[in-house]
Order: sequence, then structure tokens, then C-alpha cells
Amino acid sequence: MRPLNWLETQSEATFAYILLAPAFLLLAVIAFFPLIRTFSFSLLADQTAAATPFGEFVGFDNYVALLTGEALLPQQFLDPSFATPILQQALFVTLAFAILSVLFETLIGFGQAIVLDQDFYGRRWVRVAIIIPYAIPIVIQAMIFYLMFNPTVGFAADFMQGIGVFGSNPLTNATDSFIIVLVADIWKTSAFMALLILAGLQSIDRGLYDVARVSGASPWQQFKYITLPLIAPALLVAMLFRTMDAMRIYGLIDATAGCQTVPSMSCLVITALQNTRRWATASAVAFLTAVVIAVLVLLYLVSLRDTEAGVT
Amino acid sequence: MSEKDQADLAAMERTDEPDLDRGIVEAWAAKMISNPDRAYRATFYVATIFFLVTTLFPFYWLLMVALTPRNRLSSVGVLTPGGFNPGAFVEIFTRLPFHRYIFNSFLIAVVATVIVLLVASLAGYVFGRLRFRAKNVLLLSVLVTSFFPPAAFFVPLNRLFNRNIDILRPLMQDGSLYNTPYAIFIPLSALYLPLSIFILMTFYSQIPDGLEDAARVEGTTRLGALFRIIVPLSAPGVATAGVLTFITVYNEYFFSSLMTDGRPQSWAPMLEGILRFQGEFEVLFNLMAAASIVAVLPVAILVIVAQEKIVSGLTAGAVKE
Repeated sequence: MRPLNWLETQSEATFAYILLAPAFLLLAVIAFFPLIRTFSFSLLADQTAAATPFGEFVGFDNYVALLTGEALLPQQFLDPSFATPILQQALFVTLAFAILSVLFETLIGFGQAIVLDQDFYGRRWVRVAIIIPYAIPIVIQAMIFYLMFNPTVGFAADFMQGIGVFGSNPLTNATDSFIIVLVADIWKTSAFMALLILAGLQSIDRGLYDVARVSGASPWQQFKYITLPLIAPALLVAMLFRTMDAMRIYGLIDATAGCQTVPSMSCLVITALQNTRRWATASAVAFLTAVVIAVLVLLYLVSLRDTEAGVT
Repeated sequence: MSEKDQADLAAMERTDEPDLDRGIVEAWAAKMISNPDRAYRATFYVATIFFLVTTLFPFYWLLMVALTPRNRLSSVGVLTPGGFNPGAFVEIFTRLPFHRYIFNSFLIAVVATVIVLLVASLAGYVFGRLRFRAKNVLLLSVLVTSFFPPAAFFVPLNRLFNRNIDILRPLMQDGSLYNTPYAIFIPLSALYLPLSIFILMTFYSQIPDGLEDAARVEGTTRLGALFRIIVPLSAPGVATAGVLTFITVYNEYFFSSLMTDGRPQSWAPMLEGILRFQGEFEVLFNLMAAASIVAVLPVAILVIVAQEKIVSGLTAGAVKE
């Protein structure tokens, strides 16, 4: 008898692979295959004048040039001699941004989560207000801070100049712009940390606090011995996500200070591609970005395994 | 009552009223020390107000910039506009076709959401309900793609989308995908697929096996059971994945800014519209602010309507991964 439906005659494993085909086709075309191509491009020479942007095979020369500060780019990836200012080196800009933003977002997110963990009238609306910055388009977040720190329109530029922290045009100064981008990112994404920490806080058994109070523990001791260890796994997962996201920073910089002023690693990929037409070097920067993120993910996974082992 | 007793009473009354000699701050501090719950309550209100002001004030100030007439932009205050000119909200549509940019963004976000929901439903069903050998390896490879930055894929994709492909010639003018919505929603569908797969996987795995078995006994196919039983029963999960995908695609910057030349007829999304007010000769700050307010309204409304979904999706997605 002829089967009515060919799919029905397949084994469970074959059926599974058929249903996964569209997802993996999409991921292969957009992610797996391009990642391999990026690596193979990065082993070729740059050709800035010819019709094709890639020259002969040069092995790891592009990586050597990037890591010794000799790459022919407007900004350096890493310059061990420190002839380039530290905030003009993409690796340091990105790492400093990721570490500082995740640190402040964790602290502020903790504060927001503790507020949202209370029962009070209007809690729903406070939660909406705290989430809204996280849900808005990057370009609008960038516009807000671009306007605030613009010398003509913004009050924040005058104020920061008045107290002597910023120069007269902060969005063209590397240090000032770095701080502005950092503040803009903290404003937008603390809510993400808050939501994940809140989920952790709400999963804690309230009875533990009653026991602690009866035994005479102070609020600080309750926090240190109950709250912190119990939310540590959730906190580390949230920090892992934020770190990966912070390492990708591009749009906020591009729409405020510009990639020349604050060269993050993703920024450097685009400037190498568009301004200098060095496609092979751009590929090498892109692949190094992926490698740096992979190393950070591994570090987090190791510490996450330790906390879980410590709890049980 | 003896004189001594009366003196004692007077002394007691006096010790009861030491506050009279203190300033307001000291009195408040003394009250807080004697009643720590009140102190916690006060800190809590101060913190709440602080977070509300810091998150909402930038939007208020953006409105103040938008309302200021262009020749008075240097007099925008912290709390007040430098004049009153609601005409900026009309001018953004006449000076540039900003509505076209918004339409482009909406179209891209809707198409990407539909693709993601369809593809992630199939994958989420497989990962959530079926058992086969390579499952963990495949799930891990989906997870790994969401770790990499879009810049790591960009150089080859830029080449691919700029190449003239002969079979696309009937569809596209020059046969390349650059300056078409495909060049934005195809990469974004792939990059935001993993999050939806994890959300849907969690929801689909919670449907009892009995319901699916019953449908199969009644004669539906396996795919029929997925789309007639499992997807409808997981409606909250599908809505969560849909809302999150729509918002993230609408908000995206990297591919959205790099895959078109920025003209509205080239399917440039809303972000190019806002940046275009940074004109060649004059920066139209008030129009940039007005356009930002218009473009933020759809997501703001979505957050107010669907905040439970967003919260559960973000926490479920992250905890799962």
C-alpha cells in the first residue's frame, strides 16, 4: 500500500533531521559558513587597488601585524609598544567597555531587582518604566545621548564641562566619548540584569530568611549567606550574556561619537572594510573578535561549573 | 504627693522630650534608628524614585528638544523647551518620507518574525519532544552561533549580498541582494533564531505526551499534531518568541545600517531615517528628536501591552541557555 504521507513513514531520527533542516540551512548560510570564510579570508593578503580585494596566501601575517600594532589601519587592534593611546586600541577599548559596563549594570540591576522584588502599589508600572530603555532601538538610545552631550543642544555637555570633567566637545574626544557610550549602555541594559536577578530572587524560599532572622542574622548577613550564594548561578549566566553582548558594541558608537573616536573591535572591522578597503585585515579583526569572545565564554563556563559544584 | 515625687515626675517628663532641642535632620535620624523598618521603607522609596527618574527623564528631555523651534535650539533647558513648535512632528514626514522608513522597518521585522516562528517551531518541537542521537551536539551548535558577534560573519556576507547572482535577475534590478529587504531580514532571522528555539523548546516540552498521542490516534500526521495541538496549546510561548523577535529586529543596528545605501526606496530601515536628519549643511536636532519619539512609540506600546511576555521570554531564554 502506498503511504499517504511520505513523512509519516520515516523513523523518528530521520523525521527530526528533516524538521531541523530549515533551521540549520539558515544558520549554515548566515553563520557557520561565513565564519569559516572569514577565517580563510584572513589568511590572504590585502589588495586595496585591484578589482578583487584579496591577494595571495600569506598565512598568519595579518594576525601578526594586528597583534604587534603594525597593521595599516586608521586605528590599531593592539599595540604592545603603547605608541598608540590605549583608548585608540580596539582590544582595550572593547575589554574596558565590557568589564566596566557589566560591572555597573550588575550593581544597578541588583538595586532595580531589589526594588521590583517588594510588594507595593504600582509595581507593574515601575517595572514597565525600568524595562522601556532596554526595549528601545539602539539608534534612539544613541540619539538621546548624542543630543544630551552635543555642545549646542545638550545640557549635559555644558554641565560636565563646567565641573571640569569633559572638554568643550565631548563627542570628538576619545576619553569623554568612551564615558558617554558607557553611560548610555548602562542606562539601557541594566534592566536586563535586573530582570534576570529578579527571577533569581523570586526563586529563593522565603522561609530561609525567617530562619535567619530568628537566629539573629543582620540584613547584611542574610544577604551574604542566603541571597548571594543562591542567586550566584543565575547572576553568572546573566553576566555571561551581558559580556558577550557588550563585546559586540557597534551601533551605539557609530551613531554617537563615531567609530574613529571610540574604536571597538566590531567598529574596526567596518572601518577596515569601508575606509581603507583592507578586506583581509578586516576578516582577521573579525575572527580575533570571535576568538576573544570564545575565550571569555569559556572562562565564565568554568566559573559557573564551580559555583554549581559548590552549591550541591 | 510629696515634693520629691513631683520633682521626679518633672524629671521624667523632661527626659521624654529631648527632641525639642534637636534639628530636623537629627530628629529624623533618631526616629530612623528607633524604627529601622521606617528607614528601610524610606530608602526603598528613594531608590524607586531614583530609578524612575533616571530611566524616564531622557524621554522627557527628548520631547523638550523636539518641541523647540530650530532657531532656538541652543536655549533648550533641562526641564523646559526653548519654545513651542509641535510642527516638528509634521515636518519629519514632509522633509523626508519618514513614514516610508517606518514602513520598511515594520515590513522587515514582520517578515523576520514569521520566518523565525515557523523555523523555530519545527526546531523547537524536535529539541523539546523528540529523542535522537545527535540532539545534544546539534543543540550546542545552535547555542554557539548565538555567542558570536555579527561582525564575525560580516565580510563574507557583505560579499555575498553584493554579488550579482544571475538567477535573481528577474526579481532584483541588478541581481544583487544589497538594497533589498532580503539582505536585512535573512541575516537577522538566522541570528535571532536561537533565542526563539530555546523559548519554544521549553514551552513545547511541557505539553503532556497524552495529548499528542490522542491526536495521532485520531489520525493526524506528526506535523498536523504539531501545528494543530502543540502550537495552539503553547500560544503564550509563541507570543513571547514573536514579541521578542519583532522588538529585537526592529531595534537592530548592525545589519540594518550596513546592508542598504540609506535611501527610503532602497528599503533602508527607520534608523537611517533618523540619521538622515543629520543633514549635509545643517543638523536638524529637533527633527532627530521628533523622529526618535515617533519611532519609539511602537516598541513602547508593545512593552506596556506585553511586559509579562517580555519578562518571561528573557528570563526563560537566558536560564535555559
